[in-house]
Amino acid sequence: MNVGTAHSEVNPNTRVMNSRGMWLSYILGIGLLHVILLSIPFASVPVVWTLTNLIHNLCMYLLLHTVKGTPFETPDQGKARLLTHWEQMDYGVQFTASRKFLTITPIVLVHICSAITRPVLVFEEESSPKRSKFKLSQL
Amino acid sequence: EFWDTEFSSESILKSTMNDFICGQYNRPFLESFEETPMLVAVLTYMGYGILTIFGYLRDFLRHWKIERCHIAREKEEQRDFVPLYQDFENFYTRNLYMRIRDNWNRPICSVPGAKVDLMERTSRDYNWTFEYTGRVVLDVINLGSYNYLGFAENTGPCADSAAEITMKYGVGVASTRQEIGNLDRHEELEKLVAKFLGVESAMVFGMGFATNSMNIPALTGKGCLILSDELNHASLVLGARLSGSTIRVFKHNNMQSLEKLLRDAIVHGQPRTHRPWKKILIVVEGIYSMEGSIVRLPEVIDLKKRYRAYLYLDEAHSIGALGSRGRGVVDYFGLDPCDVDVLMGTFTKSFGAAGGYIAGKWELIEYLRSHSHSAVYATSMSPPVVEQIITSMKCIMGEDGTTIGCDRVRKLAENTVYFRRRLREMGFIIYGNEDSPVVPMMLYMPAKIGAFGREMLKRNIGVVVVGFPATPIIESRARFCISAAHTKEMLDRALSVISEVGDLLQLKYSRRRIQPSLSLPCDDIVFEDIDD
Repeated sequence: MNVGTAHSEVNPNTRVMNSRGMWLSYILGIGLLHVILLSIPFASVPVVWTLTNLIHNLCMYLLLHTVKGTPFETPDQGKARLLTHWEQMDYGVQFTASRKFLTITPIVLVHICSAITRPVLVFEEESSPKRSKFKLSQL
Repeated sequence: EFWDTEFSSESILKSTMNDFICGQYNRPFLESFEETPMLVAVLTYMGYGILTIFGYLRDFLRHWKIERCHIAREKEEQRDFVPLYQDFENFYTRNLYMRIRDNWNRPICSVPGAKVDLMERTSRDYNWTFEYTGRVVLDVINLGSYNYLGFAENTGPCADSAAEITMKYGVGVASTRQEIGNLDRHEELEKLVAKFLGVESAMVFGMGFATNSMNIPALTGKGCLILSDELNHASLVLGARLSGSTIRVFKHNNMQSLEKLLRDAIVHGQPRTHRPWKKILIVVEGIYSMEGSIVRLPEVIDLKKRYRAYLYLDEAHSIGALGSRGRGVVDYFGLDPCDVDVLMGTFTKSFGAAGGYIAGKWELIEYLRSHSHSAVYATSMSPPVVEQIITSMKCIMGEDGTTIGCDRVRKLAENTVYFRRRLREMGFIIYGNEDSPVVPMMLYMPAKIGAFGREMLKRNIGVVVVGFPATPIIESRARFCISAAHTKEMLDRALSVISEVGDLLQLKYSRRRIQPSLSLPCDDIVFEDIDD
């Protein structure tokens, strides 16, 4: 299967996250998951966001950090067989653009999620100096 | 307004126009690799995602014996042994490739000329096994064979002389070049090849792939540096790896990248010791068969001279197919063949034979005669093949007294320009140089690979389709190889069918539309003959 290879790339898996349109597809994929979960009738919006976050993290963990090797044979004599996709990305070079993107998306997602589900503590001073009240408000 | 942002190769055009004006290129160098439209990229990833999900589902069903498993497995008694191969490495083959496997390995049963006969086959278990119906699909227009000058024929002077020589010498040589397999026909062929290319001396080998993989180790070794293009063929990559030299890869056809690598190599030397490199060899190809691009030879030679490196030019697809006299990419640019240190090529594509050659200075070829692995261990070329090459080469050079060769070279150039222009006008995305007879047409989505191959075969046209991992993940393509044997009617029929299938499968992605010219297509083509 690898005989007609058109490039000298030893492991094509390393370049997948850098290809054109991959980041946009990733974000659209999360959006699609969210929309599918929103269509469940009895789930409220905070629950749906939490579910989106959880399922996204689970899928990311399974696909990027658990599954090892490549789904096709590579001419590198098995060097990538024991590496997860995260380790294979860009041949192990750290802090490339794709790695930063994939690090930032779960962080952003969890911030959006918690902003929507959990109420935020706000300190409000009352007019009388003797008693100050903490007022809980929902964002 | 799209054009300025989406036209990623505009900078290439601008720089080449500058060179054209400065006189380095004596004809405009027009190459374009239009960028993938974003919507198409997203849909392609979606396609691969759905196929992966279904792949996992089917694997699950096969594991729990709900679905019948066709794959080779170990015997029941050996179940607890260490497995022979990793299941996951086969994932792509069994879940994606098997679904569209009927587009490849199609058995042909006639000579692969401009038209070919295929054996019809069907499959009842979704391409796991094939059955032959016994019928033959006749006269399929062949757009997949590397038959650039149309010498893949079983009648005519080449076939007659090959048959005659088989009567005299037999078919097998039964020895290596160094022992007793050096025929007088080999010597004559080598002199002819040297004369054809305009160099001092040449040597021929029995197999084209082996020419690269067996001779690069003889030329470079440990302590040498090989600078190879990103998209070099597997034979060059294998030869470079076997040699034991350090390999550095520069971006495809990008002279700035090559210059940067050369400067870094000369300034810093070998990796840890910083000693100077024993030699630096730049390995490029004449035409890259998957992209259809032509190497920027004038600039490479300029860099080679400035930095005192050596140049290895693999003209597998370009010998016979480019140039006003058919002498390859050196002739196409009008350069001196003595500037290229090692000229390599194959006889498989334009000469209708098999095997390869290496040509260059006399000392280099004498060195290879004793040091090449192929000369010492591999059997030499078979006599009928040698005769085929001699006859076809004499035909191209015009030495057989006819103008057939010259006409064929011109016909190939006309066919190429016509085909490429019509495809562009229809709105397909075509990669590569305007003059290259290899035409890759982008399909992008994995399902369209299978659909395109099958639809074209239904309409009696045979094409070659390529997908991931042989190409980058979103850039699957169909590759057409134009031949001098294609008549205008065949090309017109092929183009109308391609347009029909393109509308059916929505393949006309291009955002740059060229206005179709009003006059008859073949009449207003002007050839800039630089040699006159």
